[in-house]
Parts: sequence; structure tokens; C-alpha cells
Amino acid sequence: MEKLMEILEEIRPEADFESCKTLIDDGVLDSFDVMSIISELGDEFDIEIKPADVVPANFNSAEAMWEMVKRLQNK
Amino acid sequence: MSFVSTNFLVFLLIAVTGYYLIPKKCQWIWLLLFSYVFYLSAGVQILGYLLFATLVTYGAGVWIEKTDKKKLVMLAAVLLDFGMLAYVKYFNFAVDNLNALLGIQIAERNLLLPLGISFYTFQSIGYVIDVYRGKFAAEKNPFRFALFVSFFPQLLQGPIGRFDRLAGQLYAEHTFSFQRIERGLQRMLWGFFKKMILADRLAVTVEILFRNYTMFSGLLNVMAVLCYSIQLYADFSGGMDVVIGAAEMFGVQMDENFKRPYFARSISEFWHRWHITLGTWMKDYIFYPLSLSRGMKKFEKFAKKKVGKKVGRILPVCIANIVIFLVVGIWHGPAWKYICYGLFNGIIIAFSNLMAPVYKKGLNAFHIPVQSWWWKGFQMLRTFVLVNISWFFDMGTDVKAAFTMMRTTFQNVSLQPFRDVTMQNIGFSGEDFFVVLFGCLVVLTVSILQERGVKIREALSERNWFLRWVAYGLLLLALPLLGETGPIGGFIYAQF
Repeated sequence: MEKLMEILEEIRPEADFESCKTLIDDGVLDSFDVMSIISELGDEFDIEIKPADVVPANFNSAEAMWEMVKRLQNK
Repeated sequence: MSFVSTNFLVFLLIAVTGYYLIPKKCQWIWLLLFSYVFYLSAGVQILGYLLFATLVTYGAGVWIEKTDKKKLVMLAAVLLDFGMLAYVKYFNFAVDNLNALLGIQIAERNLLLPLGISFYTFQSIGYVIDVYRGKFAAEKNPFRFALFVSFFPQLLQGPIGRFDRLAGQLYAEHTFSFQRIERGLQRMLWGFFKKMILADRLAVTVEILFRNYTMFSGLLNVMAVLCYSIQLYADFSGGMDVVIGAAEMFGVQMDENFKRPYFARSISEFWHRWHITLGTWMKDYIFYPLSLSRGMKKFEKFAKKKVGKKVGRILPVCIANIVIFLVVGIWHGPAWKYICYGLFNGIIIAFSNLMAPVYKKGLNAFHIPVQSWWWKGFQMLRTFVLVNISWFFDMGTDVKAAFTMMRTTFQNVSLQPFRDVTMQNIGFSGEDFFVVLFGCLVVLTVSILQERGVKIREALSERNWFLRWVAYGLLLLALPLLGETGPIGGFIYAQF
């Protein structure tokens, strides 16, 4: 989780990843940020994120992203 | 049947009245019936395309759940749907260009562009891909599915709906609520205000200035593009207000398609606020699949090695952005000017993605207060200018006309045309000026309030009924007094 937070803060330093639960719904992250996150997560955690995984529910908060990472690591 | 017509209002009145009088379990059948009557009112010959898209997509959805070759079935359905759209919309364009390129003589075909085909095809394709991805179960009842594709308020110009958010509402049983009808009418009235008082009043002037572009230059070109900015926004977003309001009367809440786009601070943000459902469709079904494809992953690895990690990560996103905006351009119509329109947007977004780190360093170096009102205002103005440049491609008669207009905007810059008879010749009288100014001020005030988080409709519903109905009465009164009631009527996006 710490590594994930580091990645997120590097990509979008001004965003509040600690408490925001609507990162996609409120437009805090755009598709460019999402692609940067996907690329970093893929490299860091050795996972493959597919288009079907790119839904607001998986990217709306840091916790949701972490859940997705754990799920994909177990696949 | 245009939304701005007595016929449509009578049609809607019968549809809504019957909807709440018949047994609730038959409500969706009633909607399906009226949707097909609505579509048939535009001509029997175009019905085949709607039926084709419905049957192909319905069949594919059911089949995907039963077969092991899910991807193959999904791809076949997407190809058939796209193939139909490509055939009716782009066949003649392709033939023209092939003939010119190869010096051959393939005959053009007399193809009728079915109303709303770009919208219902995209909605159908989204459904079949989502079923393939396992996002939801396929609809088993072909008639219920037919309603999802053909729901009449959205059939002609969107919004492009998603099955998981829309279908349940269409099939649900709805009890009559006076508040729902009032809110629907309120939203429709607002749409008619934008459409009749702004869009239709400016339509003649915009048409004259863009069609006869060789006769005009300087500030008249600026006027042309600014008027088009207002006309297009009022026309399309006004149309969406009518669609969303009409759907609301049946208890159906459609996705919003506009979020005050001219307040955007970048082109990328503009596309999060303008024609939102097309943008999200492109993102979900083209941008992410392309960016996450094996080929693009390989390219990303290669780019990271060659140009460094940061730039290497950005490059595939830039390419995907250019591709989706190329598709956005093609979606708008079979003409090179639309391809230029799409590429113009895509290249700006890709370039700003690529330059973002440099831009950030520049802002820090010059100590620009990025949260200050003047910087935000500058960003909005910059974006608005870029959007207006893109309108030259969108509304210009062709690519040559767009570039000529951009060039001649800087020639003969004087106020002279505004002092002589030119204004009357371009269909813009003093009365038009004041009415458009009034309409713009009303829309701007409402937009600023909404941007600041004021929920105007909720605030209005808290007022007593007398004040509410006085407000509606004034809006209603403004339509025949200030609105253009001439022969215009149709919506720009219904042609796409």
C-alpha cells in the first residue's frame, strides 16, 4: 500500500489520495493519469491490468486500486 | 418529427398520459411502441438499419454467454454494426477518394443516412463489448432489448446510453408523480429556451458567414465563429435538455452530456464537459483497449528503453489520444474537415501530455500562482480560443475554407462592417443582437451558479408553487416573443 501511495503521489502530487473516494467520478484523475498509474502498477507489482479492469470502481480511491492490485496478483 | 414542433409535444403528451394509465407491467411495451412510431414517422425505409443493429447485438449478447468463442462473436457483432454504419455513412466518401486517388470510376450510391444511426450503433456496440467483458448479463428478451436501442427521446442525438445504467430504468414500473412531470417539463423548457432563443436565432447568420466565407474577413470571421460557438452549444445542449427532460417524465434518468464546457481550462477537460457520453464511450471501448493492447505494451517497453521511463510511458497514451480523436472526427461525418477537426483536438491533447513536465517546470520557474483567478481565467480563455479554431473545421464548408477563414481573420481587421449595412445582409439585426445578448446572459448566469455548486432546480423546487410557475411562465412567454419560430427547427447533431 505504501508503494502504491508513493506512485500515486508522484503522478498527481496535489490530489488527496488518503481520503478521496471519488477520484474518477469527480475528475481528479483523467485518462492520462489512469494510464500512468496502470503503467506504474504493472511494472511495480508485475500485474496485467486489462481494459475490463479499467472501471471507476477500481480507480475511485487508493484502497480500491490496492484491492485490484491484490486481486490481480492472486490470479 | 422534430423536438421543436407541436407534433412532438402532442406525441409526448399522449405517450406520457398513456404510460401512467396502462397497467405498470406494460409500461415498457408502451415505450417500445411509441419509440418505433417515433422512428417510423421519419420514414419506413430507415427502419431496417435500426432492426439490423438491434437483432445483431441482441443475438450476439445471448450467444456470447453460451459459447466458448466469446471474443469471436463479440468481434463479429462489432464488425457487423460498424460495417452497417460505415456502409451508409462512409461508402460514398471512400468511393470519392478512391476515384480521385486511383483515377478510377466507381459509381456512388444513393444512400439515405438513417436518423440517429451513429448514436444507436455506438450504444449497441458498447452493450455487446460489456457483455463480452462480463460487466452484466445479456438481455434475454429481444423486445426489451429493442427498447434499450430505440428509446425515442435519445434515439436521434443521444446521449449514448449504457445498458447497466439505462435498461433497468426503462423496464422498471413507474408510478405517476406530479413532481416528476414538473421537473421534466422544466428541463425541456430550458432546452427550448436555448434552442429557440439562441441556436435558431443565430442559425441564419452562421450559415451566411460560413457558406460565403470568401466575401468576409477580419472581425466578421471572429463573429462567425463566436456565433457558431453559441449556436452549437445552445443547439446540442438544448437538445439534450429536451431529451433528458422528456425521459425524466417517464421516470428515466439519462446520463448528462454537457457540463458547462466553455469553462474548461484545457482541451482535455473540454472533452470531459462536451458530448460527455461520446468521450467516455471512446475512452472505455477504444482508448483503454488500444493503450493496453499487446502491441502498445511492446511499444511502451521499447520507448522506455530509447527515450527514458517518463517519456516512454507518455508516448503510447499520446498515440492512443490521436487515434481516438481521429475516430471522433470520422464519427462526425464523411468529410476531411471532420478528420482535421478530430486530429486538431487529438494532437493538442497529445502534445500537452508530452509537454506536461516542461510546462510544470515553467510554471514553477516563473512563480505562476496556478490557483489564482487570473491564471484560471487565462487558461479558460486560451482553451476557448483553441475550441473556436476547431470550429472552423467543424462548420467550414471544407478544409480549404477552414484554413482560408483562419487566415483571413487577420486581414482587414476593422469595425467598419459593424457600422454599415453588412449586419442586415448577414441576417443579424439590432433586435437579434439584444435577444442573443439577453439569452447568453441568462445561460451564463445559470452556468456560473451551477459551476459554483448551486443546485438551481432543487432551489427552485423549494420555492412555493406560485413563484415556480411564474418562472416557468416567463420562460414559456419568452419562447414565442424572443425565439426564432421560422422553418429551422431541426437539431445539428441529429444529422450525425
